[in-house]
Amino acid sequence: MEKGYYFKRIIRSVISILLVITIVFVLVYSLVPRDRIFNSDDTLVKLGGKPDERLQYQMRTWQRLGYIDYENMSNYCASLYDAGSDAINACNVAGAKEEKDFVEKYEGQGYTIQYLPISHSPIASKDRPIALRVVEWFRSLIYFDTPGYVDKELFPDLERKIYFGKTPTGGLAIKCSGCEHKYLLYTDLSFPFIHQHILSLNLGQSYPTFDSLQVLNVISDSQGQENRTETVFEDGHTETSAYKLTACKWKNTLDKLDRNKFQDNYADCAIIKKDPSMMGISFIMGVIALILAYGLGLPIGLLMSKSKGGIADKLGMVYIIFIISVPSLAYIYFFKYLGSTFFHLPTAFPTYGVSDVRSWILPCISLALPSIASLMLWTRRYMVDQMNSDYVKFAKAKGLNQTEIYKKHIFRNAIIPIAQGIPSSLAGCITGAIITESVYSVGGMGKMLPDAINSYNNAMIIALAFLYTTISIIGVFLGDVIITWIDPRISLANKEEGR
Amino acid sequence: MSEKNDLFTLAEFDERESEHIAAPRYSYWKSVWRTFVSNKFVVAVCIFMIIVVLFAMIQPMFSHYDPMYAPNINDPSSKFLGPSSEHLFGTDNIGRDLFDAVWAGARNSLIIGFGCTLINMILGIIVGAIWGFSKKVDVWMIEVYNVVSNVPFLLLAMILSYVLGSGFKSLIFIMCVTNWIYVAYFIRTQVMIIRDREYNLASKCLGTSTWTIITKNILPYLISVIMTYISREIPSNISYEVFLSYLGLGLGQQNASLGRMISAYTSYMTGYPHLFWIPVSLLAIISVSLYLVGQALADASDPRTHR
Amino acid sequence: MAEKKIILSAKDIEVKFRVRDNYLNAIRGVSLDLYDGETFAIVGESGSGKSVFTKTFTGMLESNGQVTNGSVMYNGKDLTKLTTDKDWEGIRGAKIATIFQDPMTSLNPIRTIGSQITEVIVKHQKVSGEEAKKQAIDIMNRVGIIDAAKRFDEYPFQYSGGMRQRIVIAIALSCHPEILICDEPTTALDVTIQAQIIDLIKELQKEFKFTTVYITHDLGVVANVADRVGVMYGGQIVEIGNVEEIFYEPAHPYTWALLSSLPQLGVKGQDLSYIAGTPPSLYNVIKGDAFAPRNKYALKIDFEQEPPFFKITDTHYAKTWLLDPRAPKIEKPEAIRNLHEKIAAMTSKGGAYYVEQ
Repeated sequence: MEKGYYFKRIIRSVISILLVITIVFVLVYSLVPRDRIFNSDDTLVKLGGKPDERLQYQMRTWQRLGYIDYENMSNYCASLYDAGSDAINACNVAGAKEEKDFVEKYEGQGYTIQYLPISHSPIASKDRPIALRVVEWFRSLIYFDTPGYVDKELFPDLERKIYFGKTPTGGLAIKCSGCEHKYLLYTDLSFPFIHQHILSLNLGQSYPTFDSLQVLNVISDSQGQENRTETVFEDGHTETSAYKLTACKWKNTLDKLDRNKFQDNYADCAIIKKDPSMMGISFIMGVIALILAYGLGLPIGLLMSKSKGGIADKLGMVYIIFIISVPSLAYIYFFKYLGSTFFHLPTAFPTYGVSDVRSWILPCISLALPSIASLMLWTRRYMVDQMNSDYVKFAKAKGLNQTEIYKKHIFRNAIIPIAQGIPSSLAGCITGAIITESVYSVGGMGKMLPDAINSYNNAMIIALAFLYTTISIIGVFLGDVIITWIDPRISLANKEEGR
Repeated sequence: MSEKNDLFTLAEFDERESEHIAAPRYSYWKSVWRTFVSNKFVVAVCIFMIIVVLFAMIQPMFSHYDPMYAPNINDPSSKFLGPSSEHLFGTDNIGRDLFDAVWAGARNSLIIGFGCTLINMILGIIVGAIWGFSKKVDVWMIEVYNVVSNVPFLLLAMILSYVLGSGFKSLIFIMCVTNWIYVAYFIRTQVMIIRDREYNLASKCLGTSTWTIITKNILPYLISVIMTYISREIPSNISYEVFLSYLGLGLGQQNASLGRMISAYTSYMTGYPHLFWIPVSLLAIISVSLYLVGQALADASDPRTHR
Repeated sequence: MAEKKIILSAKDIEVKFRVRDNYLNAIRGVSLDLYDGETFAIVGESGSGKSVFTKTFTGMLESNGQVTNGSVMYNGKDLTKLTTDKDWEGIRGAKIATIFQDPMTSLNPIRTIGSQITEVIVKHQKVSGEEAKKQAIDIMNRVGIIDAAKRFDEYPFQYSGGMRQRIVIAIALSCHPEILICDEPTTALDVTIQAQIIDLIKELQKEFKFTTVYITHDLGVVANVADRVGVMYGGQIVEIGNVEEIFYEPAHPYTWALLSSLPQLGVKGQDLSYIAGTPPSLYNVIKGDAFAPRNKYALKIDFEQEPPFFKITDTHYAKTWLLDPRAPKIEKPEAIRNLHEKIAAMTSKGGAYYVEQ
């Protein structure tokens, strides 16, 4: 029964995610004019005087981002003749005889043929159907690293194996030869202590901002200045470097510098930077705000329920009404003004940066304000509900005093629906707070969405939609699981039937 | 003595008299009105709110404020003026009159707030009522609801306004496209709860018509919960408009918007604080008074508060 | 009935509730002596003040209610003067216990049955957790829970309604109280379970020797268990007497009406008897006899002046002008004449109610 429920629930969640992403995909890629992605691309501006290159650059970019299939003469010639031969040079000249075959071949395949404005050389392009792109997006979403990754033709002699070993800092590791990553699984002293590269998410490539980076790396890699430290390399030598040696990837060609540092081709290493990632900043900020919210909202709500109708209750209600009815933007600015005028706190996060406590105070408070209000309201309501229940009357008749009744009966019962919301709030921390981060220019996940929208970074938008949706679904699911632990009456399967 | 003994004779028994005692006359709407009016503070807020709303609706008709029209843009002497008799709220960075601007913005906020709430409520109540009464519809709607409720609204709103472009129509569409389903779900739950209450079953058994059950039993109860919902919905819709416009995604450049003003005037917070604080305060005042009046109406329309 | 020790004595109790800007006079001068070991039943319609009156014995009035006059003497203490939890320590739940109407909601749904019993034992007897558990299982056995040790760690939702009421009784009795107030203990239960619970309370009463106060509108239960009966109407006791006196020699027109409306007394083919009208609104000051407007036998004086208690026997009193020597002689209604034979006949037919002689 229980198992069947979980299965159904997971299937339903997956379907939800699929549907949402499909809808967002269709909306973004079919309704937003594709020219707009170049609105903030400097390269295109530089190519303003060279219409041929400009058009080809656009075509290549669209191809890279998956909008179209694109073919031009140079690729076509390369497929016909050997590199460096006279024939290929002749083929690449505008007006060559192969152009006719090119046009025929691709017209036959349903491509649209265009001619470059100056050289009149033909190019062929075909729109890729949205459905196909959605399917491909999901197919390439999860990626497993295997020893078959490294090109077999280029490196026929490479030994391909998975083996136990140690990291340069002495942690345990499962290593790989032939995979994309050298360290598949390893331990170190930083949270969460066990890390893996076996399975990775491919959320697409960022463009035009953070050009040609993986979207996931943009939001999850550390930011800011390089954090250079004395690093022990695999061969034992030490030097000042910002390389993260456990996150090195295979590189087909090594340059001289690489050869000095590395014994093998795993030389494409991540750079450790000083500031946390976007996700990290949002998460830290969210968790602080959450602690503030629960630390203040719960006790104040309790106090309000105890003095129902009294002064504390009324003051609390004034605050709740203020937060509920006043647009968040207005009160965020109000508190920003208070903080900067009376406490001289910075009004922009980057002013003092990540490492300064002062930077965090105002954003965290403004993030906590609405949560405090809603926790106060709900705690009060649940407490009052419980206080009027028969078992509390009976507990009083049993002779328990007020404190015992609160502690043993009312609070425990009132906390159940509140506990249900904790995972959602915690998950929400990862996705950040759109309003707060925008107002305080915090470089977190929340600010990423409006930024991506304003810069027409479509891949980023899709990726963020995916993350937001997935995380919120997981949060709600965990919340439901949690209440089955605290409340013996509820089993998820029954809840399902109750509908 | 005879008079005294007269007291010890049987009195006339009047059955109606005995029924009369504990059941005073009751009219729902009169009681709603009486309860609402009995709170003087709320009546004052209500009058104030009506004045503000009417002013916001009428003033822009005369001022013809257009954010794209800035004739004094090249005249430094008419920029950043403080409040005066000519410009009640002063002027902004390109010489536009702030008084006209905030009222035009307030009007747009109110139109969005009321308009979206109205559409969501009508759609939501109709769908919710059917949803609550029909088991067949429930099976499907609950799945649709599960999918929709999994999408964070802000994400959807931002993506949609990105896709559809900014403007009045697309903003109203965005704020209604999914939000009605939450209203419908809420109404569905309420309908399900009330539908199966004993007093309705009893009414039905006594042969009361469905119409009477709906108007006398269900509606008075629903009116109160719907009012509670509306009183939160209007400020929240205003808030979304402000926020989306702040990010440049809500109303376009051609429409006056308090959100856009707040975002644009942030940089003058220290130099010309009135530019920033006037729109923010007006926004806060409008939202709070709408919320308070809505809550008071919700309380007044709850039969349990009637005396 | 032989002279017995008075265990609790209520004098001229008045209770008012503040409802918004009005005062509701819930109890309007009630006096009652409870004798050690007896079973006293309070009957009356909803809103007659039955529950409110007994709540003054345990300080369980809602926060907007207040005892404005009178005293409740117990063990040399005036219970109406106790205000804080500390004052009540050792009395409420320990000496005077209450069980409520609805066993479905009287237990905390998310705590185990065991923990809800032991918390009282630990609280009042100051024993260790282990000892409390032993006692709890013992009392669970006593109230008829099979496999008590095993069911100790179960939750209320795993128990049936009747079982839960047994647990509620177990909790109430776990500290051997002197007085047990049963506030409509069987109303929410199935008819078949009702008899079991009533019998259980009777049995336990014999064993633990406590005084029981029943609050009920079920005259069958009253006839079954009570030694003495008080009939309440409009916030007052209007008639009080031994169970036989109330059932066979009722003197107050309200008691007549109440007994007449027993469905079991109806004659086939005739309409059932009922009391016309609604109870008085206690927001208003009541002039004369509160029952007068609904009383077919009302005298003119009933609308003018409140009747005093008239003594019928040493144990039987009624508050009606009909007992005044000046009043006209009025026959009891047909339906409740010879009630003795009628109830006897019902019992022989195996009816739901029976009177123990």
